[in-house]
Amino acid sequence: MSTVANLYFYLCGFIAVCGAMIAVTAANPVRGAMGLLTMILSVAGLFLALHAQFLAAIQLIVYAGAIVVLFLFVIMLLGPSARAPRDQRGSVSRGFFSGLFVLVALVTMYLSARAAVHADPLPMADNDFGGIDAFAKSLFGEALIPFELSSALLMVAVIGAVAVARGEASKVETPAAKRLREARASFETGAAPSTGEAAE
Amino acid sequence: MSLIFALSPLIVVTVGALLLMLAEAFSKNKEGLAVGSTMVLTAGGAFAGAVWMKGFEGADVESLAPWLIIDRFSLFFFMLLCLGGALATLLAGGYLPEHRLDRGEFYSLLLFTTLGAMILSAAGDLLTVFLGLETMSLGAYCMTAFRRASVRSAEGALKYFLLGSFAAAIMLYGFALLYGITGTTSLVGISKAMRAGASHGPGAIFALILVLVGLIFKVSGVPFHMWTPDAYEGAPTPATTYMSVAVKSGGFAMMLRVLITAFGDPQSMSWGSGWPPALALVAVLTMTVANLTAGQQESVKRMLAYSSIAHAGYLLVGVVAIMRAHEQATASVLFYLLTYTVSTAGAFGALILCGRRGAEAVSLEDLAGIGKRHPAAALPFALFLLSLAGVPPTAGFFGKWFIFRAAMDSGFYWLTIIAFINSVIGAYYYLRVLVFMYMREPAAGAPVATPMRSGYVSTALLVSAVLVLALGLCPSTSLDVAVQAATGLGG
Repeated sequence: MSTVANLYFYLCGFIAVCGAMIAVTAANPVRGAMGLLTMILSVAGLFLALHAQFLAAIQLIVYAGAIVVLFLFVIMLLGPSARAPRDQRGSVSRGFFSGLFVLVALVTMYLSARAAVHADPLPMADNDFGGIDAFAKSLFGEALIPFELSSALLMVAVIGAVAVARGEASKVETPAAKRLREARASFETGAAPSTGEAAE
Repeated sequence: MSLIFALSPLIVVTVGALLLMLAEAFSKNKEGLAVGSTMVLTAGGAFAGAVWMKGFEGADVESLAPWLIIDRFSLFFFMLLCLGGALATLLAGGYLPEHRLDRGEFYSLLLFTTLGAMILSAAGDLLTVFLGLETMSLGAYCMTAFRRASVRSAEGALKYFLLGSFAAAIMLYGFALLYGITGTTSLVGISKAMRAGASHGPGAIFALILVLVGLIFKVSGVPFHMWTPDAYEGAPTPATTYMSVAVKSGGFAMMLRVLITAFGDPQSMSWGSGWPPALALVAVLTMTVANLTAGQQESVKRMLAYSSIAHAGYLLVGVVAIMRAHEQATASVLFYLLTYTVSTAGAFGALILCGRRGAEAVSLEDLAGIGKRHPAAALPFALFLLSLAGVPPTAGFFGKWFIFRAAMDSGFYWLTIIAFINSVIGAYYYLRVLVFMYMREPAAGAPVATPMRSGYVSTALLVSAVLVLALGLCPSTSLDVAVQAATGLGG
């Protein structure tokens, strides 16, 4: 890889990791969604570097375009004050074990990457790799069976969503639902005077 | 024979599920759905049996490779899953109308979940393994949440969903590492690369650990069992039956296929540097923790949930024994799954039969004295509990017997002894239910459970009872079938 390609890779990778960190740690849900968006954009950049243009475009359309917007809609519907209370219980052990996991994963990746230098390299990709043609060929050609089987997965997801949504909701108010109701009420009462002031 | 014939069990269940969904949308008659689903699953099982009898040598099953593998192992699981699913639909046909949950989506969900489990048992590639696993799991999550009006159901479903997705993500990370190390996603290809020396690296061991976490979660082994009691207790009882019978069998099919095919090389299967010691530790923990906790439960449904965890522990003993006695141990695991399926489906069915609308029998107190008031409901319950405990003339006895013998023959004496002690502890809480049913009177003023009447539930109980006794009295035929299925699974 040339120096520019290296620089591009490390830049995208660094931004992706930063975005992921923000998405996980941000207390404000909107900030978390923005972190996720940053992460998705830089992963699309990494796909481009791998000569997978189609995947990069799909990543932008589906994840950045649809899923993050959906998150933002949900955050909007819940209201800005619907924030989970800070839960400090077990934060030390949570931090310790997740840190341990990341450490083990990094060490393993380093060791296997070092060991893999001597192993046989993977075959080089074709020149048209990553385009729509090649993507369609593998999707409807060699991987036709898993493609067809994935329809069962989508089917069960749709039926399941209908089955759960059609059921009667619980009569008992959970703490989360109570907070949501209170937040909505305060949002509505708080919003009314401010519009009145604007009219004046 | 043609490829269509070899794939007929999968096709029958898919087409049947789609047709039933249409029928549900356009018809007002909800009664027929339970019969229809049972027929679809019975047909799926029958087609699997036909393919088994006829053989599939002429069919071009190689053309499905590496995505799906049609062999005697997958055909055995097709039959087992269809049997478990059919028993659960029969129970649902009685339970759902009685408890005003009669919505047709339940049957479509159950059929597609069964399809996912069947795909899982035939999957020969990490991609299809994951697809089958997610199809099966998503259906199970939604069935758990089916009674949304109950806070318990919602809580159990959310726990199950979050932890299950987490476990699937961990396993997917392992799959990605495996692909990075071996350069292939097919289980056979991974096995070749492992034999060629890829299993020595640290990456392979880390990948194995991550995959094991996912596998153990799906069969609810300790320490990844936390979701099981809540999900099993919250779900409507037919869904609980289905999860403890079919979803667990699907999980074990995946575990056997992945461990034996992909991690079957001498290095990964050795006691010094492979999966058997980790799995043996999990087996000991699973049996002990589950049996000790089950004895303290007041809710019979929760007790049966812990009992299903304990049975996963006995099955894991058999999986560990595969290391030294490949065919015998695999066959014993398959046979145990069969006996476990009929006994558990029967036990949950009997629990359903003991309650009615607004007064579901849940706790031990609910069952007090039911043996004298309603012997027809209590007698099958007693039979299935004895089978779960492993008392001789029932199926459960031979299931345990073959597992223990396989473990002894492969030299795991200490593991066998622990499993034996555990099955004695297990007998305590099964017999405790019998004591409540036959030797206690309900406390004065306590609500008295009265059994419901349902042809569907009675049929399911009858079928399970016949199978429990048949497997207990002459296990040789079905054991032969299990041995043939185990031989089909190449090491």
